[in-house]
Amino acid sequence: MSATPSETALAAEFDCLMARAGLTIPPARRAGYLVAFADLRSQIALLHTNHSATVEPSNVFRLSPMESAR
Amino acid sequence: MTSDQPSIAEMGRRLRTGAVTSVALTRDALARIEAHDSALHAFILVTTERALADARQADADLAAGHDRGPMHGIPYALKDIYDTAGIPTTCHSKLRQHHVPEQDSVVTARFSEGGAVLLGKLATHEFAIGGPSFDLPWPPSRNPWNTEHITGGSSSGSATAIASGMLRMATGSDTGGSIRGPAAWCGLAGIKPTYGRVSRRGVFPLSWTLDHCGPLARSVEDAAIALQVMAGHDKQDPASADVPVPDFRAGLQRGVAGLRIGIPRAFFAAAKMVTPEVLAAIDRTAHLLRDAGAMVEDVALPDYAIFAAAGRVIMLSEAFAIHRIDMQTRLLDYAEITAGRFVLGATITGPDYVDALRARRELTDAVNAVLMSCDALLTASSLTTAPRFDAVPDALSSLSPMQTIPFNVTGHPAMSVPVGLAADGLPLSVQIAGRPFDEPTVLRIARAIETIHLSRSAGEVAARSAAGEGAGA
Repeated sequence: MSATPSETALAAEFDCLMARAGLTIPPARRAGYLVAFADLRSQIALLHTNHSATVEPSNVFRLSPMESAR
Repeated sequence: MTSDQPSIAEMGRRLRTGAVTSVALTRDALARIEAHDSALHAFILVTTERALADARQADADLAAGHDRGPMHGIPYALKDIYDTAGIPTTCHSKLRQHHVPEQDSVVTARFSEGGAVLLGKLATHEFAIGGPSFDLPWPPSRNPWNTEHITGGSSSGSATAIASGMLRMATGSDTGGSIRGPAAWCGLAGIKPTYGRVSRRGVFPLSWTLDHCGPLARSVEDAAIALQVMAGHDKQDPASADVPVPDFRAGLQRGVAGLRIGIPRAFFAAAKMVTPEVLAAIDRTAHLLRDAGAMVEDVALPDYAIFAAAGRVIMLSEAFAIHRIDMQTRLLDYAEITAGRFVLGATITGPDYVDALRARRELTDAVNAVLMSCDALLTASSLTTAPRFDAVPDALSSLSPMQTIPFNVTGHPAMSVPVGLAADGLPLSVQIAGRPFDEPTVLRIARAIETIHLSRSAGEVAARSAAGEGAGA
């Protein structure tokens, strides 16, 4: 995801994501959502650092031993 | 605002000596609600009959020598995302306006087993995220310090009810600051305990991995008492921690001498929204803690923006996963603010979410590393005092006056405690964060701050009185 797409590209991406999510956005709200989307996109870019593959997500799950029901 | 209600501990003492009954305390609380709530909108539902029945039972139990603990006979209320069997639990939303759970949440049940008296269900920002909103079945709560100002959210009704003196304690939930924010803006104590300390089962989720349940209260001691009832392992909550629950009141009076307290100054000092009064309040608090014997020094943590980004991506992603179907079919039934925030969740990709979780691990490790050499952190709860309803920051922006989300991301216990009033007459506060499951140290420092500021306030009032001035607001 590039940090600064054009407004047209941003709007196209937003519309695509809304369609993919199955959401119907009221036309009167779309402009405000586009501004918020651009803002969130900038925020997300802060997380795109060059993590080593060894940096695992925080919620890697773990199992506990269990006993057989028999 | 002040409350002339005695503390929870004092009410407990009076109940046990027979100086007062739970029924009398409950009738008093109901009268306060009747007098003030029409202007403040703290309650969605007042459960008068249930409250009086609980109170009669509490009195009968005490008379029979059956003492259920520190909340026995004490009136309290629940944020309306906590399930209550047979009583509507609406999440302040049209989507759940008529929802009546069959079972209590774990926390509700723990208060019932502890003999507490349920006064009712409290307003919240819709689904603990969307507010303040005027396009819902119930109006938003108003700040008792100035009703033209918001309470903050999402535990808005909880803060309003306590700050207006209707009750001493209420439950909240905190996913990005929803306990500590309203506590900060309404001059209250509010603690988000360690992730896993309090069961979330039966509390409507906003974000499974960020949600914390905890109390807002009139004082640090009240909060400690309430947390004592709420805390404990729950095998059926996958996040619940099987760790011992200490006595949260035991160390409250120990002071701060010898404690090391770190200030992550870069979090707030250069923030766009911070006011000089907030900066001065933190510096004044640091100075007073040093005077009381603590070692206070600046510490470095990762950039605040990384905490905020990780927290927001996790919250919005998980929230949209919860609300996807309703958003597809009933988007216009949500408040406009709520829908806007959930829409943003739909734009986050799987890799973005995973990157946020990877950042979360690194951020948690970084905070733990600092807390190896510090007992706790002192920082801002909020960069400002409570804004006016007509000047609320853009609800969909990443900019927020709250400084609370880092400890949702990392899960560390964190508490907001009031430190006086700003020139606009609204409360100022600071935030204390501590090591995982070390709520006692957080509460101990908060109690010391509360004590110092209360004694300073009393001294200032006495000085003004001596000078022939009024006592002020």
